[in-house]
Amino acid sequence: MAAAPNPTSATPPGRSRTKSRFEPSGFVQWKVLTARTVRTMVRKGELFIAVLAPLIFTLGFFLPLKFVMQFQGIDYAQFLMPIIVLQAMAFTAISSAQRASTESLTGLSTRLKTMPVAIGAPLMARMTSAFLRSTVTLTAALIYGHVIGFRFSAGFDQAVMFGAMALAISTVLSFGADAIGTLSKSPEATSQALTLPQLILGMASTGFVPESGFPEWIRPFVRNQPISQFAAAMRDMADGTVQLSVVLPAVLWIVGLTLVLVPLALWASLRRRD
Amino acid sequence: MPFPEDVAVLVEDVHKSFDDVHALRGISFSAPKGTVLGILGPNGAGKTTTVKVLATLIKPDTGRALVAGHDVVTDAPAVRRSIMMTGQYAALDDTLSGRENIELFGRLMGLDKKASKARAHALLEEFDLADTGKRPVRGYSGGMRRRIDIACGLVVRPEVVFLDEPTTGLDPRSRQGVWSLVEALKAQGITVLLTTQYLEEADVLSDNIIVIDKGTVIAEGTSDQLKAMTGGNFCEVVPVDPNRLTEVVGILGELVPGVVARELAPGADRVSIPAPDGAATLSEVLRRIDHAGIPLADIALRRPSLDDVFLSLTGHSNTAATK
Repeated sequence: MAAAPNPTSATPPGRSRTKSRFEPSGFVQWKVLTARTVRTMVRKGELFIAVLAPLIFTLGFFLPLKFVMQFQGIDYAQFLMPIIVLQAMAFTAISSAQRASTESLTGLSTRLKTMPVAIGAPLMARMTSAFLRSTVTLTAALIYGHVIGFRFSAGFDQAVMFGAMALAISTVLSFGADAIGTLSKSPEATSQALTLPQLILGMASTGFVPESGFPEWIRPFVRNQPISQFAAAMRDMADGTVQLSVVLPAVLWIVGLTLVLVPLALWASLRRRD
Repeated sequence: MPFPEDVAVLVEDVHKSFDDVHALRGISFSAPKGTVLGILGPNGAGKTTTVKVLATLIKPDTGRALVAGHDVVTDAPAVRRSIMMTGQYAALDDTLSGRENIELFGRLMGLDKKASKARAHALLEEFDLADTGKRPVRGYSGGMRRRIDIACGLVVRPEVVFLDEPTTGLDPRSRQGVWSLVEALKAQGITVLLTTQYLEEADVLSDNIIVIDKGTVIAEGTSDQLKAMTGGNFCEVVPVDPNRLTEVVGILGELVPGVVARELAPGADRVSIPAPDGAATLSEVLRRIDHAGIPLADIALRRPSLDDVFLSLTGHSNTAATK
């Protein structure tokens, strides 16, 4: 076991430079914490999974359903792409929740609160790395989409809107997931609890199958729930005309979720209670 | 009231309630600079709440608390620049190596890249962890994690260090290592506040001890003063067959205080009772046990231990209280 550290040498190198060592910058802290999370993502293979997940969804739905849909006159690659992207974004959010709950569980979040760390820097670092992960998974999804025949046929501007909407959804969901993770402190329970709504909302949406493919009684739900609204808006952005009546509900959902989830995440991670 | 120069931690009449639970009810104490203050108390007594108030994690409802001259409410950022806190579990990034963890904390505390690398190198050498290499902290032993944890808090010299049960779950050898760390901190003039469930630890390390119960300080002083407060000697009785301990307690009757009999641990092999009359009590105990024909492995008069102090002050044995 350790010998006691030499009593004199534990004085840090910059002890006399009291000013500089006592004024750590919030920007540097955000940068350092983000870099650390990204490094962890690479090491734990999370980035690899971020690339792999949309591939599994693409293959799992496109191959079996392609011919059935073709028979109904639907170009399934175009139809399917938004929900593949949305599922990938939801995966990012779930891993944000896991990260937040791990940091709560190990006490790292609490410890950072006892240090001169800028308020919100840890949360912003988690959100930044979630954003980077979303960008990677979105890019991967679009590449797979291209291979199966998906095209942005409505031009560059609408393609950018498509990407921006995906990343906006991912970010707002990550805020909410971060709040849940921070409050729950159980990475396993958190990811299980979030996978269920992801699957149910994903399956009971017009993302995989058109509304006509659902039984009558559930159609109002399927048609109006946010995932369907997002998918419809993104489909138009990819290859159609962007109509206010289609895009507005999607945008309002994003705004509404932002108004609820962002303050929730701030409250969960900034409060000093436990 | 002015803040005395040589006081590192000052707590004055602090109250804190969570909903209808009164965690702190007017707690007051102080810790002189460069000393080790042991904080003892049964679970739920308010130890952790006290430490959290001092570490700016929660705000007191009323009262005042100063750390290194800074008010924990009005000047929390200055307090955070002066302290380091480690909880019961090492709060580290599991996927990073020990070196990377220390470098991370160095960067967070405002050292530049080069300085935090140099600092990590120096600390790893000092803490005898230089050969841990690139392995992630996840694979370290409990003792190694704890040392990395404390090292992370020392990248910039703190004024006050809070150690919340730093040796819980460690093997005796690792515990010894943490003890020498605490001694080293003290030798550098750093003030240490230590909560522990091992009374022996408080006895060995602390200059002063406070005993907290129901959110207030019920006793304070050096370990010797506390033992003197409990008064007189104790008589310790060890039957050859530990299964007959209950029988022994029965025979001793009124000599055993109710609380001692109640809190007798299931696996205990001895009972310790106050012996106000010294040798006379001893011979009375001997006479009764002899009469009952219970063979003894040992019987002796001794000075009270901190366990005895704890029991007589709080009415709980420490083991029962911390379960």
